[in-house]
Amino acid sequence: MKLERLIGVVLRAGVMVSSTCLAVGLLLSLATGGHAMAALLLNVGIVVLLATPLARVIVSTVQYIGERDWLFATLTLVVLLELVASAVAALVFNQRI
Amino acid sequence: MLGLGGGVFLVPFLNLVLGFPFGVAAAISLTTVIATSSTVSAGRTGKQLINMRLGMLLEVATAGGSFLGGVTAQFVSQSALQRMFGLVAVVVALIMLTRLRRRNVILDPAAEPGLLGGRYHEEESGGMVTYRVKRLPLAIAASFVAGNVSSLLGIGGGIIKVPVLNAWCGLPLRVAAATSAFMIGVTATAGATIYYGHGQLQPALAAAACLGVQVGSWGGLKFGAAASSKWLKVLMAAVLFIVSAMMFVRGGG
Repeated sequence: MKLERLIGVVLRAGVMVSSTCLAVGLLLSLATGGHAMAALLLNVGIVVLLATPLARVIVSTVQYIGERDWLFATLTLVVLLELVASAVAALVFNQRI
Repeated sequence: MLGLGGGVFLVPFLNLVLGFPFGVAAAISLTTVIATSSTVSAGRTGKQLINMRLGMLLEVATAGGSFLGGVTAQFVSQSALQRMFGLVAVVVALIMLTRLRRRNVILDPAAEPGLLGGRYHEEESGGMVTYRVKRLPLAIAASFVAGNVSSLLGIGGGIIKVPVLNAWCGLPLRVAAATSAFMIGVTATAGATIYYGHGQLQPALAAAACLGVQVGSWGGLKFGAAASSKWLKVLMAAVLFIVSAMMFVRGGG
């Protein structure tokens, strides 16, 4: 159950970092009325939040490759590619505006 | 609480009550869904409640469905999405009402869990419970639909997966709910990333909603433990019927 514990650490760290960034960013933006630092913190918080499940999938893929569990290494790799595809789609939609 | 993250209530609240465009409401809701999934799953690791292998297999379907849904949502009109939400809200309410008395599947403790099954320690009975996964293609299909609906409408999709995994695929209810909540983070990320790129995810609003939901889910646990889950389900189903009617009215259906 080494992988499960590792995933627990990744998820907990992601939640703590993103919640802290979002809370501080929100307080800062309310206090200063839209400071550049506040916007940066809020965006970092969102990106960390979105990256947490991604990091969890990467950790799993690495672990399964290490265990030579090729079936699950392939499955998690496909999930990883799907997440990369949505990031690519996000960039495409971003260009369009 | 009931295999339900709350997105099915948050989206109509933001869209109908506060007047945000549907896409903005869905994007905010998806970020709260991710935050809830990560928080809840972090607390559950090491307890063997989450079936990681099954979760990672089904994620291939949920993330694929979510990616397609997220792309589709950018081209579908707000009123079509509202009508779709109205339809899903009715289905969710009906599932809730028909499952009022549903209990865990009965299990044979001597059974072999197989490649995807598992064992976990059940607190109520104090024993080890072993289960096998049945009807895997059905689980995959339900996961794809759940992923698709998730990013189109901004909900987690647990309400679609949990009943299917519990009723037809052999998973004990607690395992189905924990595994679904675990998958939802990846599912919602595929959708939310697309909304973020499209500029529909407003960071300050998402931050407020995420922090609010963290506090709310803590309060919900306290309240849920005290209230009768049967009446809670009836109440939630009633709210969903009203939500559905309002979505159809706004969506011009």
